[in-house]
Amino acid sequence: MKNITFYFFLFCLPLLSCNENDSNVSGQTTTPPPNSASEWTIPINEVKDGGPGKDGIPSIDNPKFINVSQVNPALIGSDDLIIGIVIGDEAKAYPHVILDWHEIVNDKLNEDLVSISYCPLTGTAFGWKSRANGTTSTFGVSGLLYNTNLILYDRNTDSNWSQLKLECVNGTLINNKPKLVNVVETNWGTWNKLYPNTKVLSTDTGFSRTYGNYPYGDYKTNQDFFLFNATPTNNALPNKERIYAILDGDKSKVYQFSKFGKGNAFKDEFNGKNYLIVGDSNIISAFEVSSQFSSLNFEYSFNKTEGFFKDDEGNEWSIFGKAIDGPKKGQSLTVSRSVVSYWFAIAAFYPNPEIF
Amino acid sequence: MKLKMFFFTLLIFNVYYFYAQTCCSGGIPLSNNLGLANLEKGSIQIGLQYDYNNLNTLNSGSDKLNDNSRLRITHSVLLNAGYSITNNLSVEGLFTWVNQRRKITQFGNENLDQTSGIGDAIFLIKYNFNNILGQNSALNIGVGTKIPLGSSTETNSQGITLNADLQPGSNAWDVIYWSMISKNFDFRPSFTISSRVIYRNTGTNTSYFGDSSYKFGNEFQTYLHFSDQFLFVKKLISPSLSLKYRTANQDKIGGFNVDNTGGKWFSIIPNFSIDISKNILFSTKAEIPVYSFVDGTQLTPTYRLTTGILYKIPRKTNKLILN
Repeated sequence: MKNITFYFFLFCLPLLSCNENDSNVSGQTTTPPPNSASEWTIPINEVKDGGPGKDGIPSIDNPKFINVSQVNPALIGSDDLIIGIVIGDEAKAYPHVILDWHEIVNDKLNEDLVSISYCPLTGTAFGWKSRANGTTSTFGVSGLLYNTNLILYDRNTDSNWSQLKLECVNGTLINNKPKLVNVVETNWGTWNKLYPNTKVLSTDTGFSRTYGNYPYGDYKTNQDFFLFNATPTNNALPNKERIYAILDGDKSKVYQFSKFGKGNAFKDEFNGKNYLIVGDSNIISAFEVSSQFSSLNFEYSFNKTEGFFKDDEGNEWSIFGKAIDGPKKGQSLTVSRSVVSYWFAIAAFYPNPEIF
Repeated sequence: MKLKMFFFTLLIFNVYYFYAQTCCSGGIPLSNNLGLANLEKGSIQIGLQYDYNNLNTLNSGSDKLNDNSRLRITHSVLLNAGYSITNNLSVEGLFTWVNQRRKITQFGNENLDQTSGIGDAIFLIKYNFNNILGQNSALNIGVGTKIPLGSSTETNSQGITLNADLQPGSNAWDVIYWSMISKNFDFRPSFTISSRVIYRNTGTNTSYFGDSSYKFGNEFQTYLHFSDQFLFVKKLISPSLSLKYRTANQDKIGGFNVDNTGGKWFSIIPNFSIDISKNILFSTKAEIPVYSFVDGTQLTPTYRLTTGILYKIPRKTNKLILN
């Protein structure tokens, strides 16, 4: 009997050691208590565990940047997509090849704290002011998805935010809306022409990843391949076609890059508002046309400088709607709430979108 | 007493050596623990094992990335039961209870998701061909199925269904092909060389997340096993060493290959067992990866520990008692 007891003790030893291992990592928590709120503004059965877990895809919280001359063309070619932002005189580019592995960059531009988020599964990117609950906060990757789209969490309150719904969907800040910062999505070649003095997010992120290796196989081009389903579906366009969408409340109007050819600027009406849409096959931007600018006629005029379009009053405008030359120099158009997205995602989040 | 101290020291060394490396292994070890020995007709074998499987190594292909923030642990308790229908035909069942853990340690915080419960089971029927490859050789072949007893819809603390990898069960029936060949030698009859081959043709969970399907990749495992037996302080001990090669295809979701799943692994498994009484065998083993080539970027096993007891109940025989 003594022998049996002894060997049973040996049998149990690994179990004891493993439990010790588990508990060793605890006690380092610096975040608020875990969010245990059960209320969601979205159906909880449509919230999916993405697999890597909370912070399993680590945000970049201390981004480093390089100059254009330091960009490795083998990693970031002229056709590779980036997220671009300009605040004041500071322009920055966040390449998809890095964002694919991190999804969120908590950054600072001209003293403004900005969180850039990019969801590889819906192809959507936003800039948000890094604030939650009235104070500064970084955002992280929750590991959860809604309609296969990124759910961020804020590190102030641990609340969960749906990226494409643009809303806090769970936690103490439920129903809060993020404050948007204008970003564009285009290819590196176009951005480099618009802002040749841009800084570019460095691969020196503090994390060991194989940047340049796209982690989702043929997801971008296989129209039927979904890791998680999004509903409702809409077959008006190919699921993975990249489109530009203006968002207004729960409605959306969609513009196809292929319709812009070598460049176009036109006015359009959507949901009772007038918009100016300017773009080409690589980049699109839209602006709400207020009465102040309604008499102007706009024309696409991208000539490899910051000026992207002009008007019949002699003003030259940037892709972000800022008059950079002419009588209205320094004034700005109101950038519409908009995003570049895979078609299926807009169809799921903003059902029955209009297609231009 | 010396014997006890020896094994106590050995096990302590094993456990804390690996602990110091903060490594482990992952996944429910169903295929690993199949294949009870072939005994005479009417014999019963019951095994109880504990398996600690730790994945803390992040690989891209065969390159190890400098990132140990992700930890996947599977604790498993395995109950084997085997019965010899004839001297050569036997059946075997393997039942599991599992605790799956995913822990992310990042930005000074720790996030843990876990599930626990009854896992999937295996039923295997196998046949032994004696001396088919000469004297003192045996060939066993078997076929079985993995029975989806485990839950595949466990949720986290917020009620969100966790992904397939963290579920105790797979909600899919698999077909398992198993074979083992062994040979003993005249120069040392206690020395055995054996080889096992296992192929698992996985089924599909057709209600993954309620609206999709998930299929774990088909899996092939082969082992080359060297063992011997010695008398040590009046106990029969059996040290052995296994070389293991495992390859798994990519998983499929909705019929499409899932990147960052599947790969090839080669590991070594030192194993010690001791007959602690006439019918009870204690064994412990560690699986140490030597080479891993994974598809894309994924966690890969760091180490695995298995320890357990096997109880053999021989066939009852009518003894003639002479007064």
